[in-house]
Amino acid sequence: MPTKTLKYDTSRAQSLIHEVMERSGQNLLACYQCRRCAAGCPVGDETGVTPDRLIRMILLGDRDEALSNLLVWKCVACYTCGTRCPNNIQTARIVETLKQMSKAEHLEPLAPRIADFHSSFMKATENRGRFNELEGMGIYETKTAMREMKKGNLKAVIDEIKGQAKLGMKMRKKKRMHLKLDKVKNVSEVKALYRKAGQGKGA
Amino acid sequence: MELAYYPGCSLHASSELYDIQCKRVFKNLGIELKEIEDWNCCGATAASKTDDFLAIALPARNLGIADATGLSEIVIPCSSCYSRTLVSQQRLSCDPQLKDAINAELGHKIEGKIKVSNILEVLRPKVVSGEIAEKTKKKLEGLKPACYYGCLLTRFPCDVPVTDDVENPQGMEIVCKALGAEPVDWSYKTDCCGASASVNDAEQSLLLMSRIIKDAVARGANCFVSTCPLCQFNVDAYQDQVGEKYGIRERLPVYFITELIGLSMGFDPIEMQIDRHLTDAMGLLKELKLI
Repeated sequence: MPTKTLKYDTSRAQSLIHEVMERSGQNLLACYQCRRCAAGCPVGDETGVTPDRLIRMILLGDRDEALSNLLVWKCVACYTCGTRCPNNIQTARIVETLKQMSKAEHLEPLAPRIADFHSSFMKATENRGRFNELEGMGIYETKTAMREMKKGNLKAVIDEIKGQAKLGMKMRKKKRMHLKLDKVKNVSEVKALYRKAGQGKGA
Repeated sequence: MELAYYPGCSLHASSELYDIQCKRVFKNLGIELKEIEDWNCCGATAASKTDDFLAIALPARNLGIADATGLSEIVIPCSSCYSRTLVSQQRLSCDPQLKDAINAELGHKIEGKIKVSNILEVLRPKVVSGEIAEKTKKKLEGLKPACYYGCLLTRFPCDVPVTDDVENPQGMEIVCKALGAEPVDWSYKTDCCGASASVNDAEQSLLLMSRIIKDAVARGANCFVSTCPLCQFNVDAYQDQVGEKYGIRERLPVYFITELIGLSMGFDPIEMQIDRHLTDAMGLLKELKLI
């Protein structure tokens, strides 16, 4: 995949570097572009952006590209990059940070299904304190269907329902589908943690 | 011996069989698993992707409950739950301010005392001490598993003590050999299956799984063995789809490590729910006359 030319913006570089370093706790300045992370990245071919390049975007101050590129969305959090980095930079933490910054700035997710999945997972967990597969998938599939319908993409909705129904039937047959909803008794404690997170008292 | 136990959401849903097997196998090894009370979801990867505070705080609540049991060790079979809990404990040990902020919301305060263990950390010493050999009745001859570790058992987003070799772990091989199986040497044992990408980024996940399955087949494995319910579910549930898309004819059962230990201990395969796999797991055992 061809890579884009990055924009070097000295005026924005300083503030972007500091913001990402502070939030992720990673020393980006230690990166000497050896690309061991790139060699091990399982989604690098498909995203066209490898962890080393992501760090480069930040160091050059290309904020737009850093907050909106496919790696930020498609990273599978396998932690191979950070484990192999000779300078102990956890790029996956940087990816997480950029994704959160991107959300805070209300940028359009480049992979809306992944964004929907993560928010559905967190919503289901907030509801009952535990992630119930049926509930979480229900929230996720509804979000996905509504988005596709808005675009008039009825076929995508039907294909998705067909695919999930097929898997669901297989799971039902093998009794792998759990219908009872698990709930934490003291769910108010979990909700209190969510409230605290919402107040920005986070890590 | 009693160990605190955190099953996590998967083991209460699609991977309930793993929960049943863990309890049975451990009991036979003289270990009583005490499920911690009223535990919550660890937040998994979704929390770390969306909220730095919740990524630490959700497992922290469970750590507080675990500390209150007074037990010295908690075993967490799911790799994702294990990783998130260990990372939370490590982070809180060096961030007292964050710990105070979380503790303010909790009935059971985090003390940071309890040792967080994955399932292989508990099983390996039982191989070394000979206790597993003592309890096994059947050698798993002819079983050639590709031991599949996935990501989160050996790779972490921060400095925590890693219990096995990062690039070439051996814990599962050690257990499998003790049971009489012959694990194959292969290259994709710590590669990623995509986890939830199978739901939200399917093409990517199928591609990753195709590489894993192709290498296992090429190395002569006749099954996979896993300790992670997410890896197990993916390779089990999507194997047909991967095979059709990438032209792989072979279908390999994906066993939980507890299924192999249980079989070797002489437990009934139906009681252990080995018949609940989405890629048939009974046929190979019959073929090898192991059941």
